[in-house]
Amino acid sequence: MREMINGIIGGFKILISLDKEVYEIIFLSLYVSLTSTLLATLVSVPLGIFIGTKKFIFKNAVVRFIYTMMSLPPVIVGLIVFLFISRKGPFGQLGLVFTPTAMIIAQFILVSPIIVGTLYTASKEKGADIKRVAKTLGANKTQTLILLIKELRFSICTGIISGFGRAISEVGAVMIVGGNIKGHTRVMTTTIAMLRNMGDYENAIAIGIVLLILSFVINSFLYHFQ
Amino acid sequence: MELQIKQLIKNYENKLTLNIKDLIIPSSTFLGIIGPNGAGKSTLAKIIATLENATSGEILYNSNPFTPQLLNDMTLVFQKPYLLRTTVYNNIAYPLTLRKIDGKEINKRVCEILEEMDIVNLKDQKAWTLSGGEAQKVALARGLIFQPSLLILDEFTANIDPSSMMVLEKTIKRFYTKYSPTIIMVTHNLQQARRLCSHVAFINKGEIEEFGEINEVIFNSKNTATKNFISGEIVL
Repeated sequence: MREMINGIIGGFKILISLDKEVYEIIFLSLYVSLTSTLLATLVSVPLGIFIGTKKFIFKNAVVRFIYTMMSLPPVIVGLIVFLFISRKGPFGQLGLVFTPTAMIIAQFILVSPIIVGTLYTASKEKGADIKRVAKTLGANKTQTLILLIKELRFSICTGIISGFGRAISEVGAVMIVGGNIKGHTRVMTTTIAMLRNMGDYENAIAIGIVLLILSFVINSFLYHFQ
Repeated sequence: MELQIKQLIKNYENKLTLNIKDLIIPSSTFLGIIGPNGAGKSTLAKIIATLENATSGEILYNSNPFTPQLLNDMTLVFQKPYLLRTTVYNNIAYPLTLRKIDGKEINKRVCEILEEMDIVNLKDQKAWTLSGGEAQKVALARGLIFQPSLLILDEFTANIDPSSMMVLEKTIKRFYTKYSPTIIMVTHNLQQARRLCSHVAFINKGEIEEFGEINEVIFNSKNTATKNFISGEIVL
């Protein structure tokens, strides 16, 4: 219990300490998670709307695959991405292993199915009505797509919030592909795991508090936008 | 807008649901489509509005096949309207913003129609807070604001209270008198058809059994199915 209380106090101290190493970890965490969520959003929103509103062959199989991907274990994703980008892997010559880019790729794979799945469900429910209204009021294809995005903004934000939540809190994949290298690929979650292994519970909880505060701020912003 | 329907067939899962051989709806006709449940009335309305595809046959709009530009000049008001997740004002203004009409003109037209339909008090209300009758008024206002020359109404007053129905009917009448559009109204309500329509088509089992002037069809029908339907529906 003492570790918990000291950790909470420590969390606030860290935020105001202006410690360069801590801030590097915080900024890298935000950079990796926000970039992967942003890229996943750009790809997954149109994809989710497409799957939800169009009929095509093997649609049911695609939907089942997406739902399965939503519960994909991060360590598996980390392992697969690592095998692809490791020196002996098919993309080994790109030199991505143990870089923030590799971490973004892994998180992109984890976040995308969540946003696609959320948008698929929402557009399956409302998409036909929205498209029908748009057509009866004279909207062209671009205007219909804009209307779909506007009308589904609640679900888009829900998907982004859920996706960002998964990215910022994820440890398994970024640990495998990033390697938790100090000053290079160390993020908040891998720092917490490392501190726990070292028996430094107070600092682990302190970083955890910082993580929670940042998540709260970003989710509050997204909620307001929604 | 004149409509010519030629050899129109619609099958659902290999079952014939609509079979309209030849039907000409002259420009500025107010046509009521009546008939029993499952007769194909709404399907015909949706095919005319291009929301559904026919299995075969064609529809000519002012003697021309359908082109996407026609969507700017026609609309369909549904029984259960879908209103956009925004204010009543933005909902009604939406078709005008699509047509890139000047902001001042949009404001003028929206305010006019709000007054006409006696819903000025709803102007800034969020669409999802409206009652069924209010939502239908907004949907109709949104459909009329760009003055379409083909208006399709699919049981648009079903499930709403009589006073709201009267307001909607009054608005439709005023719009018809002012702009002379072609109106196709799918309805179960023969009394309503008599109040509004100039012509009526009776559809039964996907086929048009009778088409003509409203009073001619209702009072002098020679078709047994039409007579049975009317005698079961209308109290004289």
